[in-house]
Amino acid sequence: MTPLFLLPLAAAVAATPAPLSLETKVLAETRVAAADGTTRIALVAPRRIVPGDQVVVQVVYRNAGRQPIDGLVIANPLPQGLAYRDAGAASAAPELSVDGRTFGTLATLRVPVAAGGTRPAGVGDVTHVRWRVPNPVAAGSSGQFAFRAIVR
Amino acid sequence: MSARKMRRILWSTTATLGAMMAGMVTAQAHAQALPPAGTAAGTTVSNTAQASYTVNGQAQSTASTTATFVVDRKVNLTVVATDATATSVNHGQTGAVTRFTVTNNTNGTQDFLLSLSQLVPVGILTGTDNFDLSNIRIFVDGNNNGVYDPATDTATYIDELAQDTSRVVFIVGDIPSNNALATSAQVGLEATVATGGAPNTQGTALIPTPLNTLNQDNEIDVVFADNDNDGLLGFDALRNGRGWAYQTYDVTTRNVNLTVTKSATVLSDGVSTLNPKALPGAVVQYCLTVQNATLLTAANNVNLTDILPTTTTYVPGSLVVGSVGTAGVCLIGGVPVADDGSTTGTYGGSYNATTRTVTATIPVVGGGSSVAASFRVTIN
Repeated sequence: MTPLFLLPLAAAVAATPAPLSLETKVLAETRVAAADGTTRIALVAPRRIVPGDQVVVQVVYRNAGRQPIDGLVIANPLPQGLAYRDAGAASAAPELSVDGRTFGTLATLRVPVAAGGTRPAGVGDVTHVRWRVPNPVAAGSSGQFAFRAIVR
Repeated sequence: MSARKMRRILWSTTATLGAMMAGMVTAQAHAQALPPAGTAAGTTVSNTAQASYTVNGQAQSTASTTATFVVDRKVNLTVVATDATATSVNHGQTGAVTRFTVTNNTNGTQDFLLSLSQLVPVGILTGTDNFDLSNIRIFVDGNNNGVYDPATDTATYIDELAQDTSRVVFIVGDIPSNNALATSAQVGLEATVATGGAPNTQGTALIPTPLNTLNQDNEIDVVFADNDNDGLLGFDALRNGRGWAYQTYDVTTRNVNLTVTKSATVLSDGVSTLNPKALPGAVVQYCLTVQNATLLTAANNVNLTDILPTTTTYVPGSLVVGSVGTAGVCLIGGVPVADDGSTTGTYGGSYNATTRTVTATIPVVGGGSSVAASFRVTIN
């Protein structure tokens, strides 16, 4: 074989789409008055977002490949401007981190203070969220996670 | 290019700038130290997730699509009267100042338009509004010292007030001098949030983006979030991008029309008892009457002074203060007042032998009333 044959092959390998497709969406929580007088929370496109508004960040994954996927970990650093609130409805609770290195429940996290020492972390200190999918994701199957956040 | 499209391009330019600035700010400050008004309008918030996994034992990773939105403009402001008590003025005073503080609680830099009203709704403030100021104007505290300086504080709108910062605004006016019944004037200041971004240029009042405007995901919408800060009675309304505060001018110092009359009566000359003459050795009573001709307004701390002629000698302990008498009698119900500089009852009295001055201090001469003081001398 000549190197000439290798080149297109290498290009083909690099161009192979990743078996996992991952999509995030940010939706705004809006109060919608129903006909019976109650109010329900609807998720709408983030057209009008001002500080203090509540948004839901959704992460949808799908195994688009032909092989099962093992050990799936989805990490979502919180963007500047969002403060973590809680796990989204019908979503597994994420592991939280205040530094991007140590993950756990909020009660286990501590934040250093300027005067020295640490204090217990609050939801506003969360900088990263992470979900670990315990079971293999079969080819063609999908799932989604979500968390709620407040616009700072 | 349509005006709308042009505007969108302008917006998106600002949005990128805003995002850069926000990024710089948050890189330095801790997440907890964000301004109360929140992330600056125009900041683009982008969310991306990362996945790592193995396929057939081979580690792989995938980055997600990026979801973004633009933080819109949450318009809010606070307008308060700076001083808790009314501003004390006197009749005819020019340039009487009341102070207000306007705070920008919007998540962006804004101009603020200012206007005033002298027709404050009844019940907002205590007291009764019974006069208006003339030559009334609004000025912004240009040098930020909280005091009205006519030379520097000339701006009539607040220019480029940064997020979460305040500026003092003055209402300056003249108190009429020809209205004796004027006691209290109420003024209201209105601040309206206007477009910012152009220094030294007065912005136009913001208009909230209609709720049903389409395709505004990447534009900076204007959302009014201000409260009704003066209740049902006042001018302000919920979410109108405006704020009101009110303050009172109280006329506390007034001029009164005081007149003093002086008379002398020879009490005895040691010769004649019926009709004493002003002979050497005769005792003479001087009578000073102070009249306050201004109705309803008392004169406070009136000092009556009289310098004795060198040909007379003060009779110690002869100072008396009381109500004005009639038919040649100086005073009735008089109170002998010590003349050593001390206070007897509410009256003060003194005699200075060097300057030959008799002084009687009367704490209050009521509106429309008179008080008399008398003392005696002997003719040398």
